[in-house]
Amino acid sequence: MSQAEKDEAAYFAERAKAAAASADAAAAATPADHTLFDVQEMELNFGPQHPSTHGVLRIVLKVDGEKILEARPDVGYLHRGTEKLFETETYPMGIPHTDRMDYIAAATNNHAFCIAIEKLLGVEIPRRAQLIRVILDELQRLSSHLVWLGTSGIDLGAVTPFWYAFREREQILDFFEEYCGARLTLNCMRIGGLPFDLTPGWTERLSEFVSDLPSRIDDYEQLLTDNRIWKKRTVGVGVISAEECVEWGLTGPIIRGSGLAWDLRRAQPYECYEELDFVVPTRQNGDTYDRYIVRVQEMRQSARIIRQCLDRLEPGEIRGKVPRVIKPPAEEVYASIESPKGELGFYCVSNGSNKPYRMHVRPPSFINLQALPRLAKGHLVSDLVALIGTIDIVLGEVDR
Amino acid sequence: MNLPPAFWTYLKVVLLVATVPAIVGFVIVLAERRIMGFMQVRLGPNRVGPEGTLQGLADLLKLVTKEDITPAKAEKAVHFLAPVLSVIPALTALAVIPFGPPVRVGRTIVPLWVADVNIGLLFLLAITSIGVYGIILGGWSSNNKYSLLGGLRSAAQLVSYEVPMALALVSVLLMTRSLSLVEIVKRQEATELWFVFPGLVAFFIYFVSGVAETNRNPFDLPEAESELVSGFNTEYSGVKFAFFFLGEYTAMIIISCVAVTVFFGGWLPPFPNVKALEFLWQIPPVLWFLAKVGVFLFAYIWFRSTFPRYRFDQLMALGWKWLIPLALANILVVAFAILLFPGRTTGLVWLAWIFGGLFVVMSLLAKLRQKLARRERLAAEPHPVES
Amino acid sequence: MALKKWLDKIALLDLFDGLSVTGRHLLKKKVTIEYPEQKKLPSDRFRGMFRLDEERCIKCTLCAIECPINIIYIDWHNEKDEQNKSVKVLDRFDVDLKRCMFCQLCEEACPTVPKSIWLTTKTYEMAAYDRNESLYLDIRKLTDWRQAPNVKPFTVVERG
Repeated sequence: MSQAEKDEAAYFAERAKAAAASADAAAAATPADHTLFDVQEMELNFGPQHPSTHGVLRIVLKVDGEKILEARPDVGYLHRGTEKLFETETYPMGIPHTDRMDYIAAATNNHAFCIAIEKLLGVEIPRRAQLIRVILDELQRLSSHLVWLGTSGIDLGAVTPFWYAFREREQILDFFEEYCGARLTLNCMRIGGLPFDLTPGWTERLSEFVSDLPSRIDDYEQLLTDNRIWKKRTVGVGVISAEECVEWGLTGPIIRGSGLAWDLRRAQPYECYEELDFVVPTRQNGDTYDRYIVRVQEMRQSARIIRQCLDRLEPGEIRGKVPRVIKPPAEEVYASIESPKGELGFYCVSNGSNKPYRMHVRPPSFINLQALPRLAKGHLVSDLVALIGTIDIVLGEVDR
Repeated sequence: MNLPPAFWTYLKVVLLVATVPAIVGFVIVLAERRIMGFMQVRLGPNRVGPEGTLQGLADLLKLVTKEDITPAKAEKAVHFLAPVLSVIPALTALAVIPFGPPVRVGRTIVPLWVADVNIGLLFLLAITSIGVYGIILGGWSSNNKYSLLGGLRSAAQLVSYEVPMALALVSVLLMTRSLSLVEIVKRQEATELWFVFPGLVAFFIYFVSGVAETNRNPFDLPEAESELVSGFNTEYSGVKFAFFFLGEYTAMIIISCVAVTVFFGGWLPPFPNVKALEFLWQIPPVLWFLAKVGVFLFAYIWFRSTFPRYRFDQLMALGWKWLIPLALANILVVAFAILLFPGRTTGLVWLAWIFGGLFVVMSLLAKLRQKLARRERLAAEPHPVES
Repeated sequence: MALKKWLDKIALLDLFDGLSVTGRHLLKKKVTIEYPEQKKLPSDRFRGMFRLDEERCIKCTLCAIECPINIIYIDWHNEKDEQNKSVKVLDRFDVDLKRCMFCQLCEEACPTVPKSIWLTTKTYEMAAYDRNESLYLDIRKLTDWRQAPNVKPFTVVERG
């Protein structure tokens, strides 16, 4: 061999030795399984500021690509210490504070509060007051469901039902304004009955409104109920069975959409619901589409109830016999009504003074929100928005 | 004075680039907001200027004077480039669209298009695909999980819907045997048949894919406000956002213009060769073209205000599982029709009558279906409402 | 209904249903009230801005007691008038409008007939640039709206 070839051979031999050495080192260093295709889950913050969380709700999501592995709601951004406020004020002063819990359906909050204290006092409410209270409640149910319809639509991309729903809602708010002076934070009930009697012409106009309502609801249904895109977004999303609803304590349209016809207006009647003829809408599948249908049909039933109450109105007292200073006996009571979101209850502990010792609220939105992690598991991030809409939460109530 | 032909080309380019963004900003944005408002029983913006006509100017001034925020860890160069990449292809595509027949100016005949490329349709498809880069880069360069998700989704959507769009145009290609847009219009004039009639299915597929291409409702998940807070353009503000916005609306105009040119006869008035309707030619053909494009833009706005949006996997399933097979089947049917009959156009005329008849039947069925749906809804209630 | 199911499957007819609804509403009457050229007159019971009538007020401070937020501050002292009777004279009657919830409990508590403090003044335009000056009402601003420059009354309701 020439010198050049010898050099060449030596060079390559050295290269081979170096390669072998590094291969040994590499084999010693790398672990047995490769981490090239490791899938990482991403932690997303569906933050407190988001257009579709219906308020300041924070949801901490663990997602794998698009699929939700875990969704943990983080509440408390709207906590205002309402229950503590009740303890520092007398009973009648607490009513305006209840307005601000579920601010979309303020009359039902007032109503539940008043019913709890009336139960403690043992006050009998005159019939006219009962009928008007039911009318106000059902108007609030309509109003709340209209907001739900509009915002649910917007979350899923259908921007027009919102405006149509709010056109109706404006009229309802006008009725409230004429009756008690405010549109949203009503303060429209007092312990023992109502603060004012109806203004002249209110009942006629309400009767007209209620007759127009079914054709308006037809409009919303025409836009959404049979729409294949809407069905694709809502059918099969967030299925929950009736047994699970009972376990979790979910009430309202959620449990009625899952097959159990549980409605406090029928199960534990209050005011004059026993004599009214209405149906509790129920569906079987327990998905978002069914809850949508339940709420729309509830709107129609509310219209029927209002019409029946208007027919039964007669002149009479609007406030029962209530002492001037309200000092309930030192007992405790739990009273609940069917608010648009579910069962709204007040647990009142009195110690004989004119201020409650403890006033605890059972907020339906808070209890229903517990189901969100269960409902969201396995769905996509886009479905999360539909689910928050279908549970129909109001953060004022969740956080109080 | 004999101006060189290049002068006219430059003039047309300048006019297009100057007027189209202005039209987008002033007319289309205002029209969308007002028409959507009207459909939602409210008035749209009507305070800035008479009936809101200066709203576009106000929006433009606002966007231009806004602070230009670039996220701290964003890729600065790419962040700057993305909106540009979104706008330029859309404006470039305007070059091949024929706005009207050639016009006589003095002693020269000036065609009303910038360039009659003989691969016009292919050029359009290629150029609009470049716009996808703007969205991907915009989403990625913002250093934001949400934007990244939005950008990737949008890219997947755009790329998927290019296929049915192209296939739909292929069936039109069978009818005209030329890719040049001017040729297509002239062919529609010669056969006295707007290609929408034999190509009804193709038109439908094309328009749906077009809506998906421009990220508009019902396919606007990547930029949906309520889901991803504007997706890929979350981190953009000021002029860069204005560019994205402009790019999207210009793409809308392109899709509408192509739909009009290819399916609805371009600048032709209805029944162009019928002697009795000669007076329709008195209206300048450019106005016919613009009116037809206006109808399509109205359809875009109408869709936006009516439909919910598709979820992403459903969107992709629609494109791949329904539109592509339908487009392929359509090509087969059109080819069959053309080959079955003697001459080029007899088959098309047969197809036109068949599809036209089907369309009329469908409209009647739609009315019937509305009644059935209403009856079903009322029957599904626990008690019918007595009112 | 089988026919309807079949119809829904073969073509997108349900989508045209939705389009017809929005199309119909395009031509309907619009419900917008163009503020500020057109204004909605509030109802008679509308709870708006406060008015106080100092003459009628008997300084019983029931309104301050009933207020759930304790924003009414009343100070008075006794004075002898001409007949050597002891009358109450108002030193301070302040309402902190920033925190008021307009619940009307103060008006309900007022024992005079007609009421000395009332909210049914149909006034809701109270926006101000300067918080503390304009939204803290003392006796002058409560009795005379010209002193409260940010208040634009619809009607000057002189009732109680």
